[in-house]
Amino acid sequence: MPKVKAKRHSVSLDMTAMCDVAFLLLTFFMLTAKFRPEEAVTITPPSSISEKPLNVKDGMLMVSVSPEGGVYLATDDQMAREFMLERMANRYGIAVTAEMKKNFMASEIVGYPLGAMRQVLNMKPSEAKALSKGIPLDSSNNELSYWVGYAKLSNPELKVAIKGDKESNYKVFADIIGTLQAQNINIFQLVTGPENKPK
Amino acid sequence: MAEIDSSGGGKKGGKKRSKKMSTKIDMTPMVDLGFLLITFFMLTTTLAKPVTMQLNMPDKTDTKETSPVKLSETLTVCPDANKVYYYQGIPTEAGTVMQVTNYSETGIRKVIADLKAKVGNNFTIVIKPTKGAKYRNMIDMLDECAITNNKRYALLEIDPDTEALIKRSGK
Repeated sequence: MPKVKAKRHSVSLDMTAMCDVAFLLLTFFMLTAKFRPEEAVTITPPSSISEKPLNVKDGMLMVSVSPEGGVYLATDDQMAREFMLERMANRYGIAVTAEMKKNFMASEIVGYPLGAMRQVLNMKPSEAKALSKGIPLDSSNNELSYWVGYAKLSNPELKVAIKGDKESNYKVFADIIGTLQAQNINIFQLVTGPENKPK
Repeated sequence: MAEIDSSGGGKKGGKKRSKKMSTKIDMTPMVDLGFLLITFFMLTTTLAKPVTMQLNMPDKTDTKETSPVKLSETLTVCPDANKVYYYQGIPTEAGTVMQVTNYSETGIRKVIADLKAKVGNNFTIVIKPTKGAKYRNMIDMLDECAITNNKRYALLEIDPDTEALIKRSGK
């Protein structure tokens, strides 16, 4: 009969399985993560009890309002963006070079008066931030109206979303609504943060 | 700690032999990094999830006759920066009393709920944000309409008569 040896237990633990799970989860979260789109300014929307998620799958035209009241326009529809640039440049007699077009397509947000368009588009999007003070929308020079008009012309299915900072003045919002209603856009998606429903 | 063990138990002592390289790898830093990244992605994915509330405005080109609303069934609210003004009736009439409340649960929500219970289904809220109102105040007001389950509301520009009434009330 062979000798029976007391088995020595190892203190080292096999973590391979745990490692596998950890990296599987990591891969999953990395792939599903959606980073916040680039913003010209930081906007904190107010919260509401609404539970409808923001549907970004179908075309969306996003009008953002900064805390200072600057108005910015963004859309995920590339065709509409190209169309907007073409028509706006044409309207104001700005010759668009390939470089300018590239810069326009690279940044998602439009937020400058047309007077500064040539200057902004000749810069890299990261450098043009200082000039992005918002699209003018006063009654004498309502450029937002044209931008939205051309976007809608290119893709009438675009849904209009308004994302206002909670500290922005109501008047800016009223002006935007007025501008859009003048073009017979009457349905707006107001982007808000989630909030718990009271009992 | 974390390691892959593929060496089949070491032989203690005995004759000197060529040293066998261990195939064990210390995986601790890798696991650390893995979990750190998981934590990061888990937190960032759940944080930013915006929701929307739909706002339908009346078609301005539509001249179709709309159903009239009775004054007694209407409440006009004027959200201001930190308080809410509300009244019933016509602002220019002497009998119209401008009252003021806040955005809390016992404030405007109670006012709306009480009046809705009294009036019934035809209860309509007219929202006229003041010049000093923030965007948040308007969203809060629309939210109150949703909380009190009111589908009948209208968002209007404030008129000089209402502004005068606010001034007269001195609140």
